[in-house]
Amino acid sequence: MKLSSLTGRDNYFEDFKAGQVFRHARGKTVEPLENVLITNLVMNTAQGHFNEHAMQASPFKQRISYGGVNFSIIMGLASQDTGENAIAELGLDNIRLLTPVVHGDTLYAYSEVLEVKDSDRADAGEVIFRHYGVNQRDQQVFQGDRRVLLKRRSHWGGK
Amino acid sequence: MPEDFRARAVLWPKGHLYEDFSVGQVMNHHWGRTIAESDTLLFTTLTLSFNPLYSNREFARAHGHRDIVVNPLLVFNTVLGLSVEDCSEIGGPFVGVGKLTYHEPVYPGDTLISRSTTIACRVSESNPVNGIVTWHTEGFNQDDVRVIDYERSNLVRRRNPGGKAV
Repeated sequence: MKLSSLTGRDNYFEDFKAGQVFRHARGKTVEPLENVLITNLVMNTAQGHFNEHAMQASPFKQRISYGGVNFSIIMGLASQDTGENAIAELGLDNIRLLTPVVHGDTLYAYSEVLEVKDSDRADAGEVIFRHYGVNQRDQQVFQGDRRVLLKRRSHWGGK
Repeated sequence: MPEDFRARAVLWPKGHLYEDFSVGQVMNHHWGRTIAESDTLLFTTLTLSFNPLYSNREFARAHGHRDIVVNPLLVFNTVLGLSVEDCSEIGGPFVGVGKLTYHEPVYPGDTLISRSTTIACRVSESNPVNGIVTWHTEGFNQDDVRVIDYERSNLVRRRNPGGKAV
């Protein structure tokens, strides 16, 4: 198995420079498939995410998609471009959920490079991305920073 | 028992309100969760999380892992999910998460447990019906190795909004 043939060639550590902003190509519509399944899978007991009857009496009139699902999808939409050649995810910070998401909403992702720096490994460097998520009305629903350890092409590009 | 069961029933409540929290309290959350391979594959594919470390066992092994790597966002969501009843089930909306660090990889078959320490409580200035509570939450595997930690803040409804703010 040639490892480098399984992932992209344009998304190694050397490809990222502070200040770049990317709009990712795909969006995803949030259905009960994602919200209810993942909320229940991780044993999140807040029924506002899975009791449609109770939520009909709320100001939202329907279930609200769990924020962890929403930003996992948004980071997923950004993952091929900004994490396919990751050795490890290091951490997250400044996560903000700005607009509620309901079933049927469609999410899109943008990413900005905040910082690139050497790591303690010669074969990889650290990048801090700020990810943004918007819905089908172009309202911002999410913002958050992500630290990731990306392979250097110089070490991994031929493996 | 002449009355209908509904008339005799007493609600068995769940969750905590603002007054239940105090800085320094430690909550060992319920249940724990063994992560099955199917859990992380389903999560990874449904969230379009495209790194072969999460979907290709041979690729993961070639990078020094003993199995496919459990998606880090599934680790986060599971550790948070286990904390919801104690922290935020009936409280109110999520405000934010910060200072999250992934300490160790998690593999299929590992068991996660979750623990939170309350680190801040204050009444919301813009909406005094609510407080804002911040917890430091940590997730551990079956060997008591810490795999993740982060801080989370939520709006939490006050039981007694007219009472003295603490």
